[in-house]
Amino acid sequence: MFAFPQIPRRFLIPWVSCVVLAMAGCSNDPYPPLQRATREDGSPWLVRYGAMPEDPRSLDPQVCYDSVGKRILEPVQECLLEYHPFKTDPYELRPCLLAGFPEKVAKPDGGILYRCTLQQGILFHDDPCFPGGKGRELTADDVLFAFQRMADPRVESPALSTLQDYVLGLGERFEAAKKSGSFDYKQPLSGLQVTGRYTFEVHLSQPYPQLLYWLAMPFTAPVAKEAVDYYDGKPHGDGARDHFRFHPVGTGPFRIAEWKRNSFIRLVRHPGYRTTTFPQEGWDASREAQLRPLAGRALPLVDEVHMTIFRESIPIFMLFRQGYLDGMGLGKDAFSSLMTPSRELAPKYRERGVALHRDTEPSTYYMSLNMEDPVLGKNRKLRQALSASFHSQAFLDIFYNSVPIPAQQLLPPGIAGFQRDFKNPYGYDLEKAKALLAEAGYPNGRDASGNTLEITFDTAATGADERLMAEFEKKQFEQLGIKIRVVENTFARLMEKLDQGSFQIAGGSGWGADYPDPENFFFLYYSKNFPPGGKNASRYKNPEFDRVFEKMAVMENSPERESLVLQLNAMLTEDVPHILTMHRSLFSLTQPWAPRIQSNPMLEGGFKYAVLDSGLRGEKRREWNRPSLWPLGLLLGTLMAGAAVAIRANRKN
Amino acid sequence: MFSYIIRRLLFSLPIVFGVMLITFFLFFVVQSPNAMARRVLGPKASPQAVETWLHNRGYDKPLLVNTRPGEPFYDSLFFRQMRRLAAFDLGNSDVTGRPLKQVFASGALPSLLVTFPAFVAGMCFSLGLALYLVFVRNSAVDLVAALLCVGLMSMPVMVYIIFGQYLVAQVLNYFPAFGFHLQGWSTLKFLLLPVALMVVSGLGADVRLFRALFLEEMGQDYIRTARAKGVSNARVLLVHVLKNGLINLITLVVASLPFLIMGSLVLENFFGIPGLGNVLFSAIQAPDFAVVQASVFLGSLLYLGGLLLTDLCYAWADPRIRLQ
Repeated sequence: MFAFPQIPRRFLIPWVSCVVLAMAGCSNDPYPPLQRATREDGSPWLVRYGAMPEDPRSLDPQVCYDSVGKRILEPVQECLLEYHPFKTDPYELRPCLLAGFPEKVAKPDGGILYRCTLQQGILFHDDPCFPGGKGRELTADDVLFAFQRMADPRVESPALSTLQDYVLGLGERFEAAKKSGSFDYKQPLSGLQVTGRYTFEVHLSQPYPQLLYWLAMPFTAPVAKEAVDYYDGKPHGDGARDHFRFHPVGTGPFRIAEWKRNSFIRLVRHPGYRTTTFPQEGWDASREAQLRPLAGRALPLVDEVHMTIFRESIPIFMLFRQGYLDGMGLGKDAFSSLMTPSRELAPKYRERGVALHRDTEPSTYYMSLNMEDPVLGKNRKLRQALSASFHSQAFLDIFYNSVPIPAQQLLPPGIAGFQRDFKNPYGYDLEKAKALLAEAGYPNGRDASGNTLEITFDTAATGADERLMAEFEKKQFEQLGIKIRVVENTFARLMEKLDQGSFQIAGGSGWGADYPDPENFFFLYYSKNFPPGGKNASRYKNPEFDRVFEKMAVMENSPERESLVLQLNAMLTEDVPHILTMHRSLFSLTQPWAPRIQSNPMLEGGFKYAVLDSGLRGEKRREWNRPSLWPLGLLLGTLMAGAAVAIRANRKN
Repeated sequence: MFSYIIRRLLFSLPIVFGVMLITFFLFFVVQSPNAMARRVLGPKASPQAVETWLHNRGYDKPLLVNTRPGEPFYDSLFFRQMRRLAAFDLGNSDVTGRPLKQVFASGALPSLLVTFPAFVAGMCFSLGLALYLVFVRNSAVDLVAALLCVGLMSMPVMVYIIFGQYLVAQVLNYFPAFGFHLQGWSTLKFLLLPVALMVVSGLGADVRLFRALFLEEMGQDYIRTARAKGVSNARVLLVHVLKNGLINLITLVVASLPFLIMGSLVLENFFGIPGLGNVLFSAIQAPDFAVVQASVFLGSLLYLGGLLLTDLCYAWADPRIRLQ
């Protein structure tokens, strides 16, 4: 019979103690301890926890263009105007740093000027770049400095290429600086004239009502010259200072308190913040009970935002389930775990109080058809047939879990001129598609000499998903009896082909609104916007379209403008320079202690409106994360059994 | 010995140059600087923005040899970058503009905090288990261990990570599933799970290898002599077999030491450890040629350093080997 050998106590006790002590000190909480637990008034210090996919590439207001950067910059660097958090259909702006909306004045030379007045008493964040480390008051000179920076080639502002066509002097100053090698900030800028400590004028060479949207973007957000001079990335006796692009000094409700690259960013409330308050109106009646108590309250509503950088999606789902994330976007990896086949939240999560949200981005995705191609360009019926053969709903069901909305028109929901009930006459209808193909001169997909029509489909096949999508799209078109040759390209090669016009059908094209105006979508088909300088990849050229577009582009929203938008939409629908696929929508989830307040897709995060019930969160976290100790016993038992076998073997030998 | 080291260092120069040339070609054959700028700036970037981006980073220069009239032939992208690297100036990131010295310096410690303990613990566990299996060789335990080791060897690292995160962090709630914060002893709770997973994922292969090496030693004459002299089993294994078996492991161990600094790409990504593996991963995705090039440069130097160190250690451990 096997006798369990005795393990000496002097050996066992220290090891067991070490394991127990180590386990006692451990928890699965992924965050460092809070730097403070309560506010000055004794109430709890409220911290929201969120996720982001990578470090911001630049937080320089004149440069930042990507959604990750904007998510961090938005709460730090305020703009002159901002999007109303609740008014999204159509989208509306409201003054932020400005005391009111700019006053538009027509100039005798055909130009336009906008008179703007800043709110008084707005303070920059306290920062070592200011004398004594105390943030100074915002003035109109800071707006001038921001506009000058846009024209500085070293800054690399992406806004320049558009704004230089309208704001006087921007283009000239950029060229001069490029030639001389440096930008002269002492010289005035004709497009932005400071008229007082808090007042300035923006001078445009031609009407451009979209300027107001640009004033709601960080490109035109005021910048303190002291901050740019101080944070220049060079050593100053106290080590190298971070570059300004990583150390924005704004006037927003939060400032960046800590940024560990590849790890997390911690935003802490700016105690002197008073630019905006919670809106008094603008929400649906159904949300009155939730939002009325917040109306008029000082912002922000939480004290700290901790954004963790996740490059993989699986850990996001894990932390959300443990209650360590207050919300998450619902990607493909977690979809089947969280959703039922009927696209509802799984009962397990509903019981936990998790809420599901569906947001549609102001974006449209499509396949571009080359209007200069000898086969496609001259044959409208053929393009219509191709469009009618593509089953966009099936495409979205298979590849996007039916989350996005099939696009019927170029404009996405929320943009002035979007027609809710419009149905694309060349949407999926296979019989109609075959009839159109016959009318186009290719009955059953064959030309007059009996040869099968062959069309090239260029796609950016960057992964397995994209390859499957291309295969699906090919099969859809081939239902017509034609042959589709799929060409897989790298992203850059596809861009080159679009620039050169060397394609027939190009997949994966799309446009997300820079600002919610129909001009920002229809300009994609304006004939003066041919690549490489412009974005009219289809090379659509229609003098009537151009005429209506030029008229619509410079108008304010009105019934007359809407009728022009309808005309533009009708022309594109008939001419089919693209095959529409979807308006991108996303599911996201929020925990019961962090209900969704605003859902404006033009805002990146909207952290200043975020709320939190920290008591409920603490309670749920404790409940969901109790450690199980029995596996430790099992491990210890296995080790002891192994030792016993060894001791027995030694005795035998 | 000294002249040997000098000679090896001189031989390293053309190797590093060759590696850099191949990296340069591979990167720019896949995509031109123009395409890289388009990817970094996004599909909405204007030609003017692309041109400015390229100019500010020197990518508007000819790639390899400058054939423009009036300009020296060496005023090209490749030679400029080689000149800079020769002076150990890693430059700045193409995407963020951050000095790469700073990027690598801040990433090295988190990487080492995971890889070094994992390496040491992995060696200790593997050696210990291998010795144990030699001790209980040809028993049922040995057979079960062989099956387990083959099983461990068959699974990809990703499976260990996802399963480990799920079991230890999600079901048992012992350690965080994600995150890394350098804060004294509490840093340990962020390291234990990734280190344990790294150890376990390498255990199967190492134990089998070490077991085979030790068994070979067990058949040597000096072991038979020791046994004949009445030396205990434990002493034979822990003193004689272990010591002589370790000489064979030098090649394996020393060459991999410098690589610990470069971190583990997959593990760091899944656990959010801000190490150099993470830096390289994001640089490849971006794409950030400056970071990729500097990583390859440092990696090749570390590799060559590791090889040299292996030879030196071998000569030190085995008196029969002389370096000339």
